[in-house]
Amino acid sequence: MNKPLEPILTVSVPPHVHCGRTIKGYMIETIAALMPAALMATYMFGMGALRVMALSCAVAVTTEAICNKIMGRKQSIDDFSGLLTGLLFSFLLPASAPWWLVTVGAASSIILGKMIFGGLGASPLCAPVVGWAVCRISWGTVMDTNATMLSSNLPAPLQQLKYFGLDSIQSIQSSTLLIGEQLGGLGEVQVIALLLGGAFLLIRRHVRWEIPTGFIAGILITTWIYQLIDPTTYAPPMFHLLAGGTIFGAFFLATDSASSPIGLIPCLLFGLIAGTMVIIIRVYGIYPDGVPFAILLTNLFTPLLDRIRPKPFGGPFSYSSKDEEGATCEKC
Amino acid sequence: MSRLWKEFSKGLWKDLPPFKLVLGLCPVLAVTKTADNGFGMGLAVIFVLALSNMLVSMLRKLIPAKVRIACFIVVAASLVVCVELLMQTYAYPLYLQLGIFVPLIVVNCIILGRAEAFASKNPVHLAVADGLGMGVGFTLSLTFLGSIRELFGYGTWFGMQVMGDWFQPFTFMIEAPGAFVCLGLILAGMNTLTNWQRKNKGLEAITGPVHDCKSCGMCATKPGM
Repeated sequence: MNKPLEPILTVSVPPHVHCGRTIKGYMIETIAALMPAALMATYMFGMGALRVMALSCAVAVTTEAICNKIMGRKQSIDDFSGLLTGLLFSFLLPASAPWWLVTVGAASSIILGKMIFGGLGASPLCAPVVGWAVCRISWGTVMDTNATMLSSNLPAPLQQLKYFGLDSIQSIQSSTLLIGEQLGGLGEVQVIALLLGGAFLLIRRHVRWEIPTGFIAGILITTWIYQLIDPTTYAPPMFHLLAGGTIFGAFFLATDSASSPIGLIPCLLFGLIAGTMVIIIRVYGIYPDGVPFAILLTNLFTPLLDRIRPKPFGGPFSYSSKDEEGATCEKC
Repeated sequence: MSRLWKEFSKGLWKDLPPFKLVLGLCPVLAVTKTADNGFGMGLAVIFVLALSNMLVSMLRKLIPAKVRIACFIVVAASLVVCVELLMQTYAYPLYLQLGIFVPLIVVNCIILGRAEAFASKNPVHLAVADGLGMGVGFTLSLTFLGSIRELFGYGTWFGMQVMGDWFQPFTFMIEAPGAFVCLGLILAGMNTLTNWQRKNKGLEAITGPVHDCKSCGMCATKPGM
């Protein structure tokens, strides 16, 4: 009997039903969620902000393409993850950043934060923050938003709190902070726009609610404790929540899927640790804003937090038993 | 003679201490802020390594096997004190720069490693050749890493201005994280180079660790630790 040209029944391996979500779709929706903040930043800081964002995205995508070429991997820039990393990185920069700073930072975000670990999903650290840390350590004066934008008459809440104490921030209204009238990274201070984007991501279930909740709870609880200790030296919780990059960190940086843990309790703990760390760095550290460093540090807790796993139903063994250990080690 | 050359030259590339054996990383990371420091540290290590290999090899019949490690450390410690006193006399600024890392040569893995793995089993002339080769390889590696970090971090090389006025010092490179990142990139480069050479010889590329996990206690990510 002759074989039919068109197979009558196609046999394939499961899963047969796909929910329709793709990496590309995820990235596009995250970028869409960032758009209101990008528009606000352009409105607030002028064309300088647009220049920084465009350059950062272009450098990030180009670097990823070159890295893929050198490493002999499949070209992956069409999933827009490089573009997203570039955009997130530019949100942390001051609008006055010179071109070389943006170039080096975006390139190191991609190379040191992502590609060197094996590309998308393999990175133990949040990629944009790695680039930010490299720039912040190297060129502190250029990254200092307050020093480079002296002509602007916007307040710089965190710097004022750090260097001039609590009295200097009494005049700053929460509402001005909320609509983004403050100096800081060009996108990270657009609080209301970021809240909108964050809500969109939460509704679309692209970020899990546990991490932002934990993060914000961590910040509120820690500042509340400091307030109980001495309300005349430490800033109120709402101030810390709205100033600097707290909201940006909570919704967009800490929720980076590769570098955050899985599961309810680990995620809540992850957020709590990050939020607490932010306040500790803001109070004791030499840097005015601790959000990126706090997230970087908490990323390193992820493998540890991921050890909190549910016990398999009816399973006789737990994951920490001797047998399972040996079995895992045989493979590696 | 050829045996002598073989033992000397293996330290220069095949078993290059910091980049191939990945031994003695403490000074590699800590004192390579400038090429100068790296070179000076390397010279001190050459001195200690060659002499300790010689002494250990001479004493190898006398040292009881059970307390050999302690004996090696006594030999290395005596030599390090010599180096320290010599540096204080003739190279005091360098001594101040290197600080605690000169006394720490005592516990440098290379010294102990070569004493245990080579000098305690081989005649004196081979042991000295091995020590010299490893020391020279170590010095060159430190100078190389120091050069990279100094070039980007300060824009200079051995104190000479290399970069123009436009250069903004890349301070990241001379901080501690820069040392780790730099070392990691160099190791990655070494692996790529090794695989490329193997490919040219028609051998299969090495993709993972060459040892098995059970015999190695180094891995921090091992489950259950």
